[in-house]
Amino acid sequence: MRITAEEKEATRQRIEAAALELFRTRGFEATTTRDIAKAAQIATGTLFNYFVAKETIVAALAEEGLAKAHATVEKQPAAETLEESLFTLVAAELRQLRPLRKFITPVLETALCPLASATQNGEASLRVRHLETVARIARAHGVAENSPVAWQVYWSLYSGVLAHWAADKSPKQEDTLALLDNSLHMFAAWLQDAAAEPL
Amino acid sequence: MATVTELIAALPEEDLAIGSPSAKEISDVLSRASQQPVPVGRFRRLTALGTLQAKIGAAYLFHWLRGFFKSADENKRLLAETHWKTALRMLDSMTYLRGAVMKVGQTLATFPDIAPPEFVETLQKLHFDAPPMHWSLLKEMVNNELCDDPESVFASFDKQAFAAASLGQVHGATLKSGEEVAVKIQYPGIARAVESDFRNLTLFLLPARLTKDWESTKDQFADLSRRLALEADYELEAANLRKAAALFHEEDGIVIPRVYPQWSTARVLTMERLPGIHLREYLDTHPSQEERTEVGRKILRAWYRMMYAGKMFYVDVHPGNLLMMEGGRLGVLDFGFIMPIEGEEGELFRKMDRALTTGRIEDRLAANKEWCNLRDDETDRINLHEQYADWCWRPRYCGGVFDFGNETDFREGIRLFTEMFRRRYSRARPNTPAIARCQFAWRSMLYQLKAKINIRDIAEEEVKATGWDRSEYAE
Ligand SMILES: Nc1ncnc2c1ncn2[C@@H]1O[C@H](COP(=O)(O)OP(=O)(O)OP(=O)(O)O)[C@@H](O)[C@H]1O
Repeated sequence: MRITAEEKEATRQRIEAAALELFRTRGFEATTTRDIAKAAQIATGTLFNYFVAKETIVAALAEEGLAKAHATVEKQPAAETLEESLFTLVAAELRQLRPLRKFITPVLETALCPLASATQNGEASLRVRHLETVARIARAHGVAENSPVAWQVYWSLYSGVLAHWAADKSPKQEDTLALLDNSLHMFAAWLQDAAAEPL
Repeated sequence: MATVTELIAALPEEDLAIGSPSAKEISDVLSRASQQPVPVGRFRRLTALGTLQAKIGAAYLFHWLRGFFKSADENKRLLAETHWKTALRMLDSMTYLRGAVMKVGQTLATFPDIAPPEFVETLQKLHFDAPPMHWSLLKEMVNNELCDDPESVFASFDKQAFAAASLGQVHGATLKSGEEVAVKIQYPGIARAVESDFRNLTLFLLPARLTKDWESTKDQFADLSRRLALEADYELEAANLRKAAALFHEEDGIVIPRVYPQWSTARVLTMERLPGIHLREYLDTHPSQEERTEVGRKILRAWYRMMYAGKMFYVDVHPGNLLMMEGGRLGVLDFGFIMPIEGEEGELFRKMDRALTTGRIEDRLAANKEWCNLRDDETDRINLHEQYADWCWRPRYCGGVFDFGNETDFREGIRLFTEMFRRRYSRARPNTPAIARCQFAWRSMLYQLKAKINIRDIAEEEVKATGWDRSEYAE
């Protein structure tokens, strides 16, 4: 029996939804792949055709969340300053990732690593896609920065913010908002300085 | 890029000229301590707000720290210098300075004659400058707190803040039901951040414990963190607003903004927006003696009503918290720093009230001694406290119309108050500095109003309305 692409996609989404629900109610650690398969009404073996591990499901959910965030942000009119536009982007990402926050750390560890490869299964990695979006936003604000230093600085700040967020114990992760605000302010100021007096 | 040296260099001259070591020595220490430029970041944002804030931040710290040098011997001085440097470096990195600095700014703003006039001008304006929480951040905060975008929660929401608050900013908005509101939004996590910055700073200042002035420095930290804890909690402020509002009626001409609890949380406070102008603008309209006196009477009535009927001590008396409204009404804002008059403090207040009412020196001495933990052998301290208390309370116990615009009298108050500050409030209760400041603050406003008031009459009316029997005072 041939399975159509739509059917495949539907199954995939069912697995993701079931997994997310279980992670949330039962906890990430306590949930097994068998539980997920059962909840998604498929055989455990079938599940492995889609995802090799629980972490892969989280990674997929994160990817989708991020793509959604990017799409919303790109539809919005640009903010007044580069700093604010970047804030909008990252804040939208965090909002999308919020349901995954408690179990996203391992995924972030791989994805945020500066050594992570630029491509994954032939697709651009999360890092590359995020940085491309950032570069587009920067260009819209008249900043044509593409030195590797700038992106390294940005990426360090960005990963710092995400790592902080994943473990943030402050009410509604408000400390992360402050950290993000400060980090982006620093980055934008640094970019502008760098533009004014090239290294 | 501003360096600490530049900030310090921009301090008012006289600040550097007090006590030993010499001004030059101090500025040398400072310049050595500040070889490193201030990191880009919040300071730049502060710069955007006007470097004055940053300067005051430095000045305030400077003021605290200067005390070490007065009594210290050479060794201690060196030690203090080292710690001073560290402290300064910390100051550099205090990204959340804004809240604390604004607080300080307001405190200074209530001393019109101490700080140079243009200093005070700028400080008073600080209340009205839009502070730097950009729209995206604001939206996130509103979303976190009220579960939707500001545009969806409200019928309209001004992107531009109309006023700065000490820990955030205030935006105009309209409710879907049509009411004009002021929405006060707090910068995320700011209270905790300032608190921990200051805690760290205290750690670096530990060696200063050996010096005489440590107690007072500690007091000021304690005072600041107490304020922060209270002010950061907008739910508490909302409760205070509601409690206070219930104390006033139409005919009082005193207005407390109504709270909209559905759109208020610990970080967002939505309240009725009062239309009106602040004291300085009001004075610019050249109101008559009678009008000015009436404003003064309302200020006092509001304060006494809250104290006697509400058992609420309104500490944060300053021009930014009062609005002159249409028809001579007075708007009272900012219920972030209210001390409940109860328990042990309630007892002390009763003693103070006795002294205020009878005007007997022995009552005053007793109240002062207990309030400030003064020992019998501390004659100097006792005298100073007695003089200040007498200055504060004389218009009250003497009765009759008092001319608050009397400059000689006001200058005497400044002298005593500054002296109190200089000698510090050792062993005082943590809120004594706040109370002393508050007494001074409303005197200072009455001075600016040049009001002529019989304040005893107002106080007695307010006491009588509560039915409080004070016949025992006659004994
Ligand atoms: N209900 C209101 N109606 C009109 N203006 C208001 C209202 N609430 C606040 N404001 C304006 O916002 C300013 C700051 O508000 P508020 O004093 O409540 O903040 P705060 O954080 O307690 O600040 P601070 O401690 O610095 O006074 C006020 O000086 C006033 O100009």
